[in-house]
Amino acid sequence: MSYFFQIVVSGIVVGSIYALAALGLVLVYKSSRVANFAHGQIIAAGAFITFFLTVRLGVPIFFSFLASMLITFFLAMSVERIFLRRLIGEPIISVIMVTIGLASIFDGLIYLTPFGSENFSFPDFLPTESIVVGGVSISWTQLVGVIITFVLIGAFSWFFKKSTVGISMRAVSDDQFGAMSVGISVPRVFALAWATAGLSAAAAGCIIGNVTGLNFETLHAFGIVVFPVVILGGLDSILGAVVAGIIMGLIQQFASGYLDGNFGLNGTGDVMPYIILLIILLFKPHGLFGVHEIERV
Amino acid sequence: MSQNRWLATGNFFTSYKQEQRTFFTHLDRTIFTCFLVILFGWPLLFEISNKYMLVLDNILIAIVAVMGLNLLLGFAGLISIGHAAFVGIGAYTVASVCQVIGENHVIVTHFWPVLIVLAGLMGAAFGAFVGLPALRLKHLYLAIATLSFQMIFEWFIQFMSFFNQGQTIYVGRAHWLTGQVGRSDHYLFWYYIILTIVVILGFGVRNLLKTKYGRCLVAVRDNDRAADAMGMNPGLTKVYAFALAGFFAGVAGALHAYLYRGVGFDSFTLHHSVAYLAMAIVGGLGTLNGIFWGPVAIKYLDLQVEQFSELAGHYLTYAPNVATALKPLSFGLVIVLFLMYEPRGIANWWRIVKSYTKLWPFRY
Repeated sequence: MSYFFQIVVSGIVVGSIYALAALGLVLVYKSSRVANFAHGQIIAAGAFITFFLTVRLGVPIFFSFLASMLITFFLAMSVERIFLRRLIGEPIISVIMVTIGLASIFDGLIYLTPFGSENFSFPDFLPTESIVVGGVSISWTQLVGVIITFVLIGAFSWFFKKSTVGISMRAVSDDQFGAMSVGISVPRVFALAWATAGLSAAAAGCIIGNVTGLNFETLHAFGIVVFPVVILGGLDSILGAVVAGIIMGLIQQFASGYLDGNFGLNGTGDVMPYIILLIILLFKPHGLFGVHEIERV
Repeated sequence: MSQNRWLATGNFFTSYKQEQRTFFTHLDRTIFTCFLVILFGWPLLFEISNKYMLVLDNILIAIVAVMGLNLLLGFAGLISIGHAAFVGIGAYTVASVCQVIGENHVIVTHFWPVLIVLAGLMGAAFGAFVGLPALRLKHLYLAIATLSFQMIFEWFIQFMSFFNQGQTIYVGRAHWLTGQVGRSDHYLFWYYIILTIVVILGFGVRNLLKTKYGRCLVAVRDNDRAADAMGMNPGLTKVYAFALAGFFAGVAGALHAYLYRGVGFDSFTLHHSVAYLAMAIVGGLGTLNGIFWGPVAIKYLDLQVEQFSELAGHYLTYAPNVATALKPLSFGLVIVLFLMYEPRGIANWWRIVKSYTKLWPFRY
């Protein structure tokens, strides 16, 4: 039974990271209807900036965490300003391809630095021994990661529900013309959405980097695996991203915990999200909490 | 009114029959014939190293694959981020035949045209199957559905021991009328075969787009409800577009298998899907000549980047694998710059040049 609970715990850890990573994608999609295929690269950039500040420049990790969030905030904002703003109103394939192209550019830039090809890990700043409760163990890094994730998600939800900027972002996602008519600057909201997405991506990157170690391949793979998560939760629902992130983390851990090695299967944890994605798309394409807006042909 | 059949200053069609002609003027026909003669004739006159022959073969294979993708994306307006998986289906059809009956079985070596067609049909079957979500989904959702097909394909190949866990599966040497194709002629032989296939399929696509089966694709892209009202079945058309794209991709995959005499999993990854998309977009979506420009441009860029990074490797002391860095960088820049400044692709430049020269001595 403790094996079961161990899987539940690690599922929640992985899932909450997915939730945080998916949050950025949902933010961008919700306001500007752009699916950002370069999200994984922004996550990686955030993680590497934190690592660089902490290890090479000796900044305390808490401050470098905040600093990297600030840097990716402006990075994502400038990406929106330079590349995406010109494409407002273009066909969706152009927008998707631009973000894929951006992912490729970021790949190239990160490969130019030593971070592209080597493995790194953050210095330990938390106790290294695990907490064991009733046979189920969780490391301090994981625990703190989950707590930070939930604090951040709570902060983001508050930001959207209560703050003026957040409300204007929701207004733009509801109706762009309506938002314009009450004096909201739509391009500014797009820029802000990208910026907050960058911020959450950096946070996700730092937490992934601390939990699993820094490797560019694993980090930018998160940019693809969040797509099943956001589809499951509904592309434009923040609550959906959180719930679906946790569900997806649990499914993945259960698949690799119980299916791998039995029935001659292996690596099911990697493929399960996509199988679920296909099933969701076939039967409930708007996801668990998404707005029903898909047209039938 | 007697027409000048050599030069035309505009369209003077009086019947649909005239509009369906492949070549509008004798000049078009002459230029095209000369072009074909050059393409088929030059290897007889010039020697070229196997390395560059392989690049040419690769470009031609990419042209076959992009033909399918352009039909799907440019003409039918359906996004696919899983095209490399369809190419992989074609390649693995050949590979699984090799696994079952042996890589040097007479079917593999002598009846390769049959296998190429079979691979195409297999690709079409999978295309139609993956296209099924297109009955309900549009745009982004469809893109993500094809993306997930790509990921599932990759996992499946790596997981199945039948497919050698993604390691190379060997395919025997093809035989021609003169006997087995030797090592030195291998790339030249496949150059001719693939070129022939490209010409046949190119004419096929061109003619398809002049029939109702091609026009319904365009109609569904432009407005599926209007197409529905005019008696087409948009859902079926979309599935059929996916099947078409799958067919072309399957043929390309089989050619890839024979050209490299082996099938490995790393030629059909997500990265390659993106590369096919880039080729289709850089060439020009929804145009016929864009099918040819895109692969040529992207492969040429690849070659140049490779040479440049070799050069840079000589001069830089700190060179963290310049090639792996510059390839995605240049590739991404090309995609982004084209989409931002020339979304209609290289085909648009071709159109401008053509309309300039069409009326050349007597401009308005």
